[in-house]
Amino acid sequence: MSEQTNLNQKIAELDKKVEWFHSDDFKLEEAVIKYKEATKLAKEIEKDLNELKNEIEVLSQDFTK
Amino acid sequence: MNPKFTPTEFITTANQALEYSFSGVLIEGEVASYKTSQNKWVFFDLKDEESSISCFIPIWELRTPIEDGMKIIVRGLPKLTKLGKFSITVQKIQPVGEGSLKKAYELLKKKLTGEGLFDPAKKRPLPENLSKIGVISSTQAAGYADFIKIINARWGGLKISVAHTQVQGLDAPDQIIRALNYFNEHGDVEVIAILRGGGSADDLSAFNDEALVRAIAASKIPIITGIGHEVDESLADLAADIRASTPSNAAEMLTKDKKSEISKIRLLIKSSRESILEKISHEQDNNTNKIKQISRDLTSKFQQLSDYLAHQIKLLEVLNPEKVLKQGYAILNGKISPGELIKITTFKQEIKAEVKEAHERTN
Repeated sequence: MSEQTNLNQKIAELDKKVEWFHSDDFKLEEAVIKYKEATKLAKEIEKDLNELKNEIEVLSQDFTK
Repeated sequence: MNPKFTPTEFITTANQALEYSFSGVLIEGEVASYKTSQNKWVFFDLKDEESSISCFIPIWELRTPIEDGMKIIVRGLPKLTKLGKFSITVQKIQPVGEGSLKKAYELLKKKLTGEGLFDPAKKRPLPENLSKIGVISSTQAAGYADFIKIINARWGGLKISVAHTQVQGLDAPDQIIRALNYFNEHGDVEVIAILRGGGSADDLSAFNDEALVRAIAASKIPIITGIGHEVDESLADLAADIRASTPSNAAEMLTKDKKSEISKIRLLIKSSRESILEKISHEQDNNTNKIKQISRDLTSKFQQLSDYLAHQIKLLEVLNPEKVLKQGYAILNGKISPGELIKITTFKQEIKAEVKEAHERTN
């Protein structure tokens, strides 16, 4: 799995977690745990966004011929 | 002694000398006497104020429309025909100068539009959440450097494969086509970005090459172009799925901005926190209302009970025997029959008496 795919999955997971807070499934008793999980994930995503570098490869193929 | 040739030998030797001396010669001039033969061969003269040279090119190799009066630059091979006529076998043609470039552009645009090559219905959107991008550009070009700088500032974790090609001149279209074919055959990228920074109309004319425009339109992988500046519109732009105004703009269109994404993530967390607080506040309001209702119910019950007790007390007071005695009545205890002793209680006295007579009252 590429770093990019992993990052996109984390973002999608966070969206899903946050959605729960605004859904009919919301329960105050579970909210604190879910909020802690979402906050932890958000921090991981921020870290990834700040640290991930692009991999740039100039192809060795000769396109002049 | 001077060598002696037959005509065939001389033409062969002369052609060898011409090929050796002038292989790939570039000649710039004005097109005259343009004509096609059997829809296969194109003949025209290339002239200036004093001279004219015959030129020939197979029609399928003509990748930009030309007509009399246009200024062009050709690359070709000078040759003597078997009849001893001198001509240039043209390999590449590029219009030169604003007027000729515009004319060639309009002619080719009309032709390809008629074929539906630029049909908006054929455009594909950029894939979401890109991870692999193919880039076709000159790695020495400023436009390429701008693209890399912007994309690195905006997002990370991308795999960017770069095909280094010329992006101007007669050889640029073929090199770009080879790079397009490479990406399409290897199929390892989700989008291809064709990039070139700003330049003159002559510099950008490679992107109006018919074969290149057709290759872009036929690409299996979606293509974004970032060629020149906002005002420069090439046929490559029209054939691409997405046109960015510049290489930097292409980088912006291909990626999300991590700063915006971080702000968005923080807002999401904030909205979750607010949702919890809102729910707590709602629950508090609910509980407060319930307590108020219970209090109201209890007060009401207490009042009812209190009223009842007051009423009963009043009733008891009315029935109090002392109160009756005080009004002058007496209580009589004992058997009521003649000769029996009885006790009579008044408000102030207790009296013992004997019954003399007893009979039923008549009302």
